[in-house]
Amino acid sequence: MTIEQQMRQPPSLTLRLTLLFAIAAAIVLTGFGWIIERSIERHFAIEDDAELESVAHAVSQTLANHDATSSPVALAQRFNDVLVGHHGTVLHISTPDGYTLFSSPGGPDLSSLNQTTFGNDTNDKIRHWSDAKHTYRVLTRRLEENTTTQRHYTMSVAVAINSHLRFLDHFRLTLWLMVASGTVLMGLMGWIAVRRGHAPLHTIITQIHRISANELNTRLSPETVPRELTDLANSFNDMLARMEEAFQRLSNFSADIAHELRTPVTSLLTQTQVALSQSRSNDEYREILYSNIEEYERMAQMIGDMLFLAKADNGQYQLNHTDVDLAKETRDLFEYYEAWAEERGVTLALHGKVTMPADRLMLRRVLSNLLSNAIRHTPSGNTVHVRLEQLSGETISISVENPGPAIPAEHIPRLFNRFHRVDASRHRSDEGAGLGLSIAKSIIDIHGGTIDVESTEDCTWFRVILHKRH
Amino acid sequence: MKILIVEDETKIGDYLKQGLSEAGFVTDLARNGLDGHHFAMTEPYDLIILDVMLPDVDGWRILQSLREAGRTVPVLFLTARDSVEDRVKGLELGADDYLVKPFAFAELLARVRTLLRRGATIATETTLKVADLELDLMRRRVIRNGQRITLTAKEFALLELLMRRQGEVLPRSLIASQVWDMNFDSDTNVIDVAIRRVRAKIDDDFDTRLIHTVRGMGYMLDVSDDN
Repeated sequence: MTIEQQMRQPPSLTLRLTLLFAIAAAIVLTGFGWIIERSIERHFAIEDDAELESVAHAVSQTLANHDATSSPVALAQRFNDVLVGHHGTVLHISTPDGYTLFSSPGGPDLSSLNQTTFGNDTNDKIRHWSDAKHTYRVLTRRLEENTTTQRHYTMSVAVAINSHLRFLDHFRLTLWLMVASGTVLMGLMGWIAVRRGHAPLHTIITQIHRISANELNTRLSPETVPRELTDLANSFNDMLARMEEAFQRLSNFSADIAHELRTPVTSLLTQTQVALSQSRSNDEYREILYSNIEEYERMAQMIGDMLFLAKADNGQYQLNHTDVDLAKETRDLFEYYEAWAEERGVTLALHGKVTMPADRLMLRRVLSNLLSNAIRHTPSGNTVHVRLEQLSGETISISVENPGPAIPAEHIPRLFNRFHRVDASRHRSDEGAGLGLSIAKSIIDIHGGTIDVESTEDCTWFRVILHKRH
Repeated sequence: MKILIVEDETKIGDYLKQGLSEAGFVTDLARNGLDGHHFAMTEPYDLIILDVMLPDVDGWRILQSLREAGRTVPVLFLTARDSVEDRVKGLELGADDYLVKPFAFAELLARVRTLLRRGATIATETTLKVADLELDLMRRRVIRNGQRITLTAKEFALLELLMRRQGEVLPRSLIASQVWDMNFDSDTNVIDVAIRRVRAKIDDDFDTRLIHTVRGMGYMLDVSDDN
């Protein structure tokens, strides 16, 4: 990941929600505005058309009823009569050859509008038309042939719609101003709502701020937060619990390390200082150095074991899974431990045969630790039994059983703890650093299995359960 | 045999130099990466022991320069961090072996000898012979002073290892790894018991003892009996 990518933080929730509110408001308000505007426009059009239609109807009646004998003046008078009461309405009637039968006096020249072509199925045409001063809505109609005069006429009826257009312009302006201010207002209200809605989050943050390493036992109370945040609070509490446990374990481990290292360092220091306090023979010096080596080796092994455990805890081991023939591994280990066991009068027995996908070297280490532990605690003349069982298609069990005195019940739960020794007075060199069983448990843990121990009066079992992973 | 040691920690450097010199090697000690780099690139060595954590030019750089210059001298690197990435990195850069601190000097010596031997032609002997002890590798037979001795398979493997590396002190961890393929420390004295058994069969009934315990370090098979 580059630094730039790390720096690019997503925009704030408040900004995001505010913008979303504003956009939603803008869409809704614009939609409404558009519908209202269209309705009004339509309303005006219907009104104008009704007026035009009533004039056109009257004109066509007049034309139908007049005969060739009527004087042009009388006819013009009748058309003027038709127009009475229709304020701002203008009429123009002409024949297709360009003869003007009637044109409203003082009105605009509509003659050009009569020179129009009509569609196939209709004799009407409605359109907007403007001259220098006014805008008109114009109905142009082709009239049926008059039975007596044998003539066709085309008429245009125009009604001035300036006032309507002015009204619409004004209305539109008001409408869009309202949409704009409404959008801004909604955005603002959204912002306030989001800020207020986030208040419980801020409360949680304040609570989290108060938790320090010494107060890992503090918990958030999920009942006091809104339902949507309950999960967050619970997850956070779970995380705290895990951290507290890990922290506790780490503190104990550090204390143990300090203690375990203090003992050999003290003995080395004392021994060396005493040795140097007076001059000694070469053999004596050599003896002291040998004794030091033993102490150093133990410390080195302890450091190695602790590093292994630390890494296993941190999940730094990549398991190298192969099919492990546990019977073969056990036999190999038997070969390794045979001489030692024989010398202690202990025999080794293997029962069963299973194969399991696992990390071979790791599993071998578990078996080795369990086996050496069992041999060490078996009285002479007895047998250590290793039993391999297939419990189901997916699950196997490895049990290492040794006869011997019971492990005191109070030690059982702590048997796998680091540096735990059942017999505190036992000499350290006899039992290693007390990390063998911890290491076994760590390895089984990272394999996703379980290990436990059962001890009766005359026998002890260590039992490992492993599941096949998918 | 000339060995270059590149190690910035004064005490470790001094003791490595002393230990290797006393084991019969000619040694140069470089106390920082720059000197180490210079020595490694200009002088001919049979082996380089390289600490990878150096304050100036780190061990990886030296190793890289060496390999880029086409020098095939074996390199054994020392690291304090036992992480897989470190080991893989070292081996990928062309190192031949590694040791994790803290290590036993006997272990280092054994590894050094193995690396130095690697270049030499591997003799395809069928018999090994030290004094009056004879190992017939083909027929898996052991004869001492004309007497046939019966060993188990693992005892035979153990004796073969000791004889092949006659005169070298073999630490217990190396024996466990070579004979039983056990690559981790055991808190038991399994190796001591196994040695004791082999010794009972090949040494106890004879005048000169061949298997020697080197206290604090390991075991050695040799004709000298000053230990």
